Amino acid sequence: MKTKTKSQLVDFISVNGEARPAELANKFGLSPQIIHRHLKALINEGIIESKGSPPFTQYVIANQPLFKNAFDWFAKNSDPTLSPYVSETRDVFSARLNHFIPLQKQGISQNELSLIISTAGEIGNNSFDHNLGQWKDVPGCWFEFQLTSKFLWVLVSDRGQGIYRSLLRVLPKLKNEQEAINKAFTESISGRAPEQRGNGLKYVTQVITKTSNRGIACISGNGHIHFGNLGQKCFSALSKVSNNNMGTITLMAWGLK
Amino acid sequence: MKILVKNFGAILNSRPAGREAVLAIKAYLTPPTHDKIELDFTGVISVGPSWLDEVLTFLYTEYGKDRVTCLPTNNSSIIESLKIINKE
Repeated sequence: MKTKTKSQLVDFISVNGEARPAELANKFGLSPQIIHRHLKALINEGIIESKGSPPFTQYVIANQPLFKNAFDWFAKNSDPTLSPYVSETRDVFSARLNHFIPLQKQGISQNELSLIISTAGEIGNNSFDHNLGQWKDVPGCWFEFQLTSKFLWVLVSDRGQGIYRSLLRVLPKLKNEQEAINKAFTESISGRAPEQRGNGLKYVTQVITKTSNRGIACISGNGHIHFGNLGQKCFSALSKVSNNNMGTITLMAWGLK
Repeated sequence: MKILVKNFGAILNSRPAGREAVLAIKAYLTPPTHDKIELDFTGVISVGPSWLDEVLTFLYTEYGKDRVTCLPTNNSSIIESLKIINKE
């Protein structure tokens, strides 16, 4: 990427998440032909990719998920907008796990699919296990997945009490949100004691770190953690989220073969 | 006696769903004394450790660990779930 214009286009797309050619032409005062030439060059360089068909084509940063609405929903201080991505109850969330099944047509193997569904299921069910009766405002979790050219991205977030408050009841000496999130992902501990449970996130960690083409990042309050070779990539994507000091947001990435 | 797990669903994830399965097993499955209980996962798409833990904990308690077997499967989610459950 050599020209200043191309850098500006990439910056604009990065900040806005996506952009249409007409929008870029207006913004930078350039002709549609010049914009299309730059966009084509950026695609060839692997920096951006197109989504959708003309005349509705949008350009996005390559291999970056676009979860702007999810991030806005998570970050809003109160009364977030209603969204069809929010599963208000566990039953709705469980039913939506079936939406993964058609991914087999995109080349995801049956074995990989079984792991994607089970890990997403464990994370989403945690939202309900630890927040029933404890939601800050809106019940349920935001569940969404996206395919980019090299990765499957799976996002689950909730506006609940967060990991720290959930664990504080059984671990009153917990120092802060960072210690809480570390324990949640690495030790068999659950805020639902005396029930014998707490292996869900350990399972997720085990699956994600098993091969090199997976990753996960999680933010809860001021605590954050990432695992797997793609974990840093997930964490970078989540860094666009404003911290509202409530709830938990988790992003997984699965490399596509 | 063989339990066809797919009869409880193709995607089995949560503890509440596991507890529902346990209630159904209690109500409808009455294995002959000393008969082995085999979990057959054929046809299942995905199983999470939460669901499996609920079901296995009940079966182990009710019938004894020696009588309960998970039949071999290639399904990665079941293999990984069993690893984490057996670690406990």
